[in-house]
Amino acid sequence: MSDIQLKNIDKAFGKVKVLHDVNMSVTDGEFVVFVGPSGCGKSTLLRVIAGLEQVTAGEIFIDDEQVNDVQPRERGIAMVFQSYALYPHMTVYKNMSFGLKLKRHNKQEIDQRVRKAAETLQLTDYLDRRPAELSGGQRQRVAIGRAIVRHPKVFLFDEPLSNLDAALRVQTRIEIAKLHKKLDATIVYVTHDQVEAMTLADKIVVLNDGRVEQVGAPLELYNSPANIFVAGFIGSPKMNFLKGTVSSIKGDTVEIRLPDDKIMSFEHDTPANEKDTATIGIRPEHLLLAEAGDGLLKAEVDVVERLGDVSYLYCALSDGTPIIASAPGTSLAKTGDTIRLTARTEKIHVFGPDGNAWK
Amino acid sequence: MPKTRQAISSMGIHAILFSYMVLALWPIFLTIINSFKTRKAIFRDPMGLPGLDTFSLKGFNKVLLRSDFELYFMNSITVTVATLVLVLLLGAMAAWALSEYKFKGNKWLGLYLAIGIMIPIRLGSVSLLQLIVNMNLANTLTALVLVYIAQSLPLAIFILSEFMQQIPNDLKEAARCDGVSEYTIFFKVILPLTRPAIATVGVFTLVPVWNDLWFPLILAPSNETQTITLGVQQFIGQYVTDWNAVLASLTLAIVPILIIYILLSRHLIRGITAGAVK
Amino acid sequence: MSAVGGRFKRFPHHMVVFLAPATIIYTLFMVYPLLDSIRLSLYTTDGTGAFHFAGLTNYIAIMTDPLWAGPFWNALKNNFIFFTMHMLVQNPIGIMLAALLSLPKLAGRTTYRTLIFMPTMLSVVIIGFIWQLILSPLWGVSETLLDHIGLVDLFQPWLGQEATALVTLSLISVWQFVGIPMMLIYAAMLNIPEDLTEGAIIDGANHWEIFWHIKLPLILPTIAMVSILTFVANFNAFDLIYSVKGALAGPDFSTDIMGTFFYRTFFGFQLQLGNPTMGATVATMMFGVILVGVLFYLFVLQRKLRRYAL
Repeated sequence: MSDIQLKNIDKAFGKVKVLHDVNMSVTDGEFVVFVGPSGCGKSTLLRVIAGLEQVTAGEIFIDDEQVNDVQPRERGIAMVFQSYALYPHMTVYKNMSFGLKLKRHNKQEIDQRVRKAAETLQLTDYLDRRPAELSGGQRQRVAIGRAIVRHPKVFLFDEPLSNLDAALRVQTRIEIAKLHKKLDATIVYVTHDQVEAMTLADKIVVLNDGRVEQVGAPLELYNSPANIFVAGFIGSPKMNFLKGTVSSIKGDTVEIRLPDDKIMSFEHDTPANEKDTATIGIRPEHLLLAEAGDGLLKAEVDVVERLGDVSYLYCALSDGTPIIASAPGTSLAKTGDTIRLTARTEKIHVFGPDGNAWK
Repeated sequence: MPKTRQAISSMGIHAILFSYMVLALWPIFLTIINSFKTRKAIFRDPMGLPGLDTFSLKGFNKVLLRSDFELYFMNSITVTVATLVLVLLLGAMAAWALSEYKFKGNKWLGLYLAIGIMIPIRLGSVSLLQLIVNMNLANTLTALVLVYIAQSLPLAIFILSEFMQQIPNDLKEAARCDGVSEYTIFFKVILPLTRPAIATVGVFTLVPVWNDLWFPLILAPSNETQTITLGVQQFIGQYVTDWNAVLASLTLAIVPILIIYILLSRHLIRGITAGAVK
Repeated sequence: MSAVGGRFKRFPHHMVVFLAPATIIYTLFMVYPLLDSIRLSLYTTDGTGAFHFAGLTNYIAIMTDPLWAGPFWNALKNNFIFFTMHMLVQNPIGIMLAALLSLPKLAGRTTYRTLIFMPTMLSVVIIGFIWQLILSPLWGVSETLLDHIGLVDLFQPWLGQEATALVTLSLISVWQFVGIPMMLIYAAMLNIPEDLTEGAIIDGANHWEIFWHIKLPLILPTIAMVSILTFVANFNAFDLIYSVKGALAGPDFSTDIMGTFFYRTFFGFQLQLGNPTMGATVATMMFGVILVGVLFYLFVLQRKLRRYAL
């Protein structure tokens, strides 16, 4: 297993620049997830690491060796595709052994590796079947098996769960997590689903429009998002954002005026000016129902979604700003109720005019 | 891949494709340029372009004078267009009925009509000629049209019915709920929707009919009814030593198809590539 | 509400209207003549135009009677040679061109494709004549070209020589029709999902290995279809031979194939009187050969190749 380093990666398709100055690294044995909305460049970044695309600028290092001009098969990587990319005319066994046969490994070694991988993935009974005879989940496992047998330095996964149904997705997600531990593998994983990212990753790279927004451990991104994009992307339901203006600055304390004229004050270090726009962010799960009279925000409930253990209250502030709050499953709130919400200061995020978080 | 290795293999690929393209076009090109040259120039410098002193329309003059080229051309057009229109209309009607209505024997009828794709119609020529003679249609363009329709229907019906099966059910149901007659549905709703497939069928029908030698030879060889393919073949047989005339007649036969091809090549290629997806 | 026959109070005559014209024309002008030809082959005729039932006499005559058998077996043999030439030359070239055209990021792909396909659109008659001119020793074009590449000694009037005429005509036919396998196989290759190729690249295959192990197996069904289409077309061929060599398919019948043999037998030519019943017999033999091929394709090849379907 190995580490990867990406330095100043730019990638353009013709005139369109898809990746801008991407810097990041993956250490040996780490599970890194690239996450972001469609079109953010995460798949392109993965393909650049694989060697299926050439970079326009920048350097890629695998194990401290520059691999920009090295072909995919010499990079020591294996890839699991979203559509599995299984060879339809070959049996599962042949699918898994294809790469090894090309490298001219001897028959016994191939057999050994294939059977071991098949056992790990519970595919032993299916070795003689063709992909058309397998279910989606089984095909996914064959695709993973094909990667395992090559004993690669790095595993690359390109949205592998997207084509599975919801239940299977959860199950396979857990299997991938177990696989990671078992093989002690270095994995780079691409997904648009932030739940997958949060549950699988050691480290998450959030991408937006070809730029790295933030890199960090899942809880780090959850608790300390670096900017509005990351704050809004991680966590479900989405974080609530309230637009305000800086009303006064007194030393270390800044006062922010909210739309309904409430004032919130914070201590912070980042320089700010009066009249700057500032955005307050509070996650639905951090909003608490306050006693009447108390509380930060007054909102009217539009829709209540009851999930059993938790209910989500979709509300609106007096100026129309939508707010989502989570309440215990036993809550009696209903449409039309007026509720007061509050939150603990340390759970409130503040973002400056440029969208970056204030300390 | 290292840039130089990539460039070399790319050059190699282009070299092969280019060479084959030259091989494919060169005989045609040679024919056309030489048809505009004097006889001497044809022999002395076959591969040169016609120059000021070698340019000559002698061949064309002879062809147009000595043969009824315009007549043959019109015959080809008449036969081809009539066949095309009728094949499209009758084929679409049959394809629609086969793909839409569930009646007993639907599958067998479909199979019956599809067999014609693989079995060449020429094999029945002995009886076919007898039939045409008995119907008093010998040496008529009508005979050719009828035979060509029969020849082209199987493939046309096959392509069209596959296409029609893909028309969403909702469209048909909605029209029926509006209380509209089946004929109106077919002509006003279905037929316009099959336009892409009709282009494909058109090209697959047009080319074999235009280029056919066998049936004009057997069923309608008289001078009044010759098609251009037969006309060229007879003309060349007669004037085989007159190179100008021969080359000119070949050029005259090539140019219409070339023009049609260049105009329709996109449709044709789309049709073949789509059809092959089966 | 679907138009099932029983649902309607009145007879669903719209269905008949839709189906009848096509079915009638098809039956009258294609099926009936074919079946009637087969029937005719069981009769003999004398000069008066009367027909006498003769059972399988014609068939036995065709295969054994010295008057008929010689030309028949010759034509059949030649047709197989014609077909073999196509399989050996046309299909590999078609596959190669298709493989090259389907490579990603190929500049000028549309132009190549359109222009290489052009000869296929032209009439076989025209093609035959053009090549006859080019290969003619009188004109000397091909001789000059061979001289340029130093192979002038190889030049022969191939079309005029008994030993080489058939092969030469076969190559001309291949030259014209390569476009069709090329297009069909090209379409099949486009159908192969891109990530199969990428998976193979990552598995370590080079372009040749990708072609051989991945692409070629997946286009085998198309190759089979192309082969049966070639088979049917070759055993139905006539136009090229007739326009280049005439109905006598010389020199000395070396270019005679089933189509020309059929024409001569049925229509007569020069010294030979037309004989409709023998003609029908020849046609039925052709039908038999083609039918065997088609059945083989449908019931053996297609089944075996099902596992290569995407």
